[in-house]
Amino acid sequence: MNGDLTMSISRREFTRIGCRVIIGAAAGTAIIESIVKNSLASEDKKGEYDWNEHYWGFVVDTTKCIGCGRCANACKLENHVPFDEHLYRTWVERYRVLKKEEVKIDSPNGGIDGFTNDIPKEDIKKAFYVPKLCNHCDHPPCVQVCPVGATYLTEDGVVLIDYDYCIGCRYCIQGCPYGARYFLAEETPHHKPHSVLGGGVADKCTWCYHRITKGLLPACVQACPAGARIFGDLKDPDSAVNKILDKERINVLKPDLGTRPKAYYIGLDREVR
Amino acid sequence: MQPHIKRAFTLLAIAIIVFIVIRSLVVPDSFGQYGWYRGDSVVDNRNFPVEYAGSASCGEENCHKTLYSIWEDSRHKTVNCETCHGPSEKHVSNVRIMPQPANESRDFCGLCHFRQTARPEDFSQIDPETHGQNLRCAYCHNPHKPWFV
Amino acid sequence: MTEGLIWGYVYPNEAEVQWSILIVLYPYITGLVAGAFIASSLYHVFGKKEIKPVARFALLTALAFLLVATMPLVAHLGHPERGVQIMFTPHLTSAMSGFGYIYSFYLIVVVLEIWLSFREDIVKKALSSRGLKELLYSGLALFSYDISERALHEDEKLARRLAIIGIPSAAFLHGYVGFIFGGIKANPWWSTPLMPIIFLMSAIVSGIALLILLYIVAMKIRRHAIDHSCLYSLAQYLWVFLIFDVVLELLEVVSMKYESLEEIEIINILLSEKIATTFYGVQLTLGIFVPFVLLLLVGIMKNHDTLKTIMIAVSSTLVVIGVFAMRWNVVIGGQEISKSLSGTLTYVPVFFGMEGVLPAVVIFTIPFIILLVLTYILPPWKDMEEATE
Ligand code: HEC
Ligand code: HEC
Ligand code: HEC
Repeated sequence: MNGDLTMSISRREFTRIGCRVIIGAAAGTAIIESIVKNSLASEDKKGEYDWNEHYWGFVVDTTKCIGCGRCANACKLENHVPFDEHLYRTWVERYRVLKKEEVKIDSPNGGIDGFTNDIPKEDIKKAFYVPKLCNHCDHPPCVQVCPVGATYLTEDGVVLIDYDYCIGCRYCIQGCPYGARYFLAEETPHHKPHSVLGGGVADKCTWCYHRITKGLLPACVQACPAGARIFGDLKDPDSAVNKILDKERINVLKPDLGTRPKAYYIGLDREVR
Repeated sequence: MQPHIKRAFTLLAIAIIVFIVIRSLVVPDSFGQYGWYRGDSVVDNRNFPVEYAGSASCGEENCHKTLYSIWEDSRHKTVNCETCHGPSEKHVSNVRIMPQPANESRDFCGLCHFRQTARPEDFSQIDPETHGQNLRCAYCHNPHKPWFV
Repeated sequence: MTEGLIWGYVYPNEAEVQWSILIVLYPYITGLVAGAFIASSLYHVFGKKEIKPVARFALLTALAFLLVATMPLVAHLGHPERGVQIMFTPHLTSAMSGFGYIYSFYLIVVVLEIWLSFREDIVKKALSSRGLKELLYSGLALFSYDISERALHEDEKLARRLAIIGIPSAAFLHGYVGFIFGGIKANPWWSTPLMPIIFLMSAIVSGIALLILLYIVAMKIRRHAIDHSCLYSLAQYLWVFLIFDVVLELLEVVSMKYESLEEIEIINILLSEKIATTFYGVQLTLGIFVPFVLLLLVGIMKNHDTLKTIMIAVSSTLVVIGVFAMRWNVVIGGQEISKSLSGTLTYVPVFFGMEGVLPAVVIFTIPFIILLVLTYILPPWKDMEEATE
């Protein structure tokens, strides 16, 4: 049937194409997905870092956060996120429960420029900061809704984006209950909007995947002066994260949505969503 | 089957085959390597440039050894050098590239130290109006060892 | 700039509305397709003879709108050139991934259906014309000119079978668009299992209404009398589907309010402040209630054909507008509440630019041009006019 095709291409290539045609014919079947996965996952192409040995987790201690916004600032610098746009991989929220039973929440410029005392202390019942970032859920709704497979959960538990594959439909931005995703239209080292029409892709926190796979801490964790952000390996029983998970009472954001976040919060108030 | 219907379905079959062939040529090689995504993208994500070198690399060998040891014993030891000095990985790998000068303004220290209701009570905070007579903080405090005594 | 449009607290990344007017247009257009197709199947499958005059015209309408259904989507993508990946590597857990295949399948069904029901005309034209025209029609006939009694009978049988497949796939095409929204648990205004059916019902309603309008306009342009029995039975179907539509739409809101979950406060703000006019005013009152009453009167009244025609035309126009408002309220309304559940933002449509009102208007006029061309190549007038000869 494909006799004419073989004329122009070598035999090996033909078998390769042939195989892929067959695989292609069954496009999208989960069976093939799992076969491919099992046969190739053992082949480690990524050098000395082995992602099977790690499973990353994050703890946010809201009782320690001083709201300086250095995390959000460092994040933008580390990941080349434009400063003049409403784009935040991480941000700090301030909650102020007023004496007249009203809750004021704000996060001016993600907390990067600090907060102003615009409500007198006497009117405030309690107040605290809550840093937010991508939760790297174990059941990520954003990955679920991506129509092309441009965002995924890695073996070491991080949700990443394929900037060269994302079509920019923004369904994942709608799907994320935490508002952690944004639409990146500017040129950065991660993404080049080469399309004539401008172009843009979804973007979000990666827990600084390029750092943690080199043994460094995420930029926000390193920048935090108050120890409100703790990062570590859930597979390592002695890691900083596990030490906290073993003894503190922790919660996650919007647990009822069944997303199983891996960003755990200490001292989460009921007002925080 | 009628000849015209046969023709119509042949056309359809050809279209489907062409689609499958194009698909097999266009989909990236590493797609499906680990899951329903492009395997190479993991490598891409790992290779993005690092900007923050970390405080430890400042104190190495003959660089800012003294400053580092002062800082290490101070109340500011939890404040990363680069939090005040800006990302300096480029400076670490090539000393000719100088990092941005540190922000010395009162407002910058104030991001952490000005009194805020939402801040934990036990964190050292000052009243920006009254403390330090509107002088630069570094006039009295050493940023690397805020308690000079 | 954005500060004045934000009330309460929205997540910093939410400051911009992501799905703009183009994404309002997309479910609207696919809805019209599904509705028009289902109207034509009333004749092709259920043998409702009164619909015959518009049956083939409805198919052409469905095709004209189907051809542009992808346009607002592609225009809205951040990387339109990567759009085909949805066909090459569809990620099956995503409601959106089915789009490419469902759409293509449906396109094939509609094209085949049209081809089969127009084949006799095509072959006759091919045999009776010369030159380029002959080539065009011979090509359309796939150079096979058998229009014997037997062949036509076979065609009709196949067309009927296709139409039977076509109904569920039209329902699926549009029901799944509803699921794109209904499956988003992050958004309380979208997340409801009723969404696919609501979308489907409003799709049928809008499709039939559009068909009525196009039929009246076409007959006026061609200066031909309107077949009133066809018009009234279309109006009757419109009325019946309107009931389903309003029941489901109200059920959604009522159950949301009755259950009063965590998100009810923000939903109440959405309904009473953000989309009050477009929801209660346009979608429910103008889009459903008024046409419902008018069509009821049409059903009761005797004689007065001209008045009834006007009333049907008015109701159809209102329905078409009302369904657009419904799409708007879902797509834009859902994005005007923050997922923090403690704030709202306002979508201000821009006029120019990739995602502005202008491209939306342009995209929405294209199907009418396509329909004009289609009716020129494959005139459906014969059956529309012979009844009232
Ligand atoms: C709290 C903020 C802060 C931190 C943390 C900090 N610096 Fe500085 N640094 C400053 C400021 C402000 C100046 C300018 C001081 C001045 O003009 O006296 C400065 C000046 C310097 C200088 C120039 C000194 C000179 O004598 O001219 C060096 C080198 C330096 N810092 C290195 C470091 C290193 C290494 C660390 C980490 C161990 C560090 N800094 C941590 C704020 C900081
Ligand atoms: C990124 C946040 C941050 C910045 C910026 C910062 N500090 Fe600090 N500073 C801290 C932390 C954390 C401590 C430890 C205090 C504690 O744990 O209560 C501290 C401690 C201090 C102390 C000692 C307080 C005590 O009770 O012992 C002084 C004085 C001080 N800082 C002055 C400064 C000055 C002056 C600057 C500006 C050059 C500055 N800080 C900038 C975070 C910061
Ligand atoms: C005129 C010199 C002077 C200047 C300028 C100055 N300080 Fe101080 N600061 C002091 C002295 C003296 C103390 C210790 C006495 C006290 O607690 O008031 C002190 C204490 C502090 C403390 C510890 C307060 C506590 O209660 O634990 C902090 C934090 C601090 N200063 C931050 C700053 C910051 C931030 C600035 C710049 C906005 C600044 N200082 C400017 C002299 C100064």
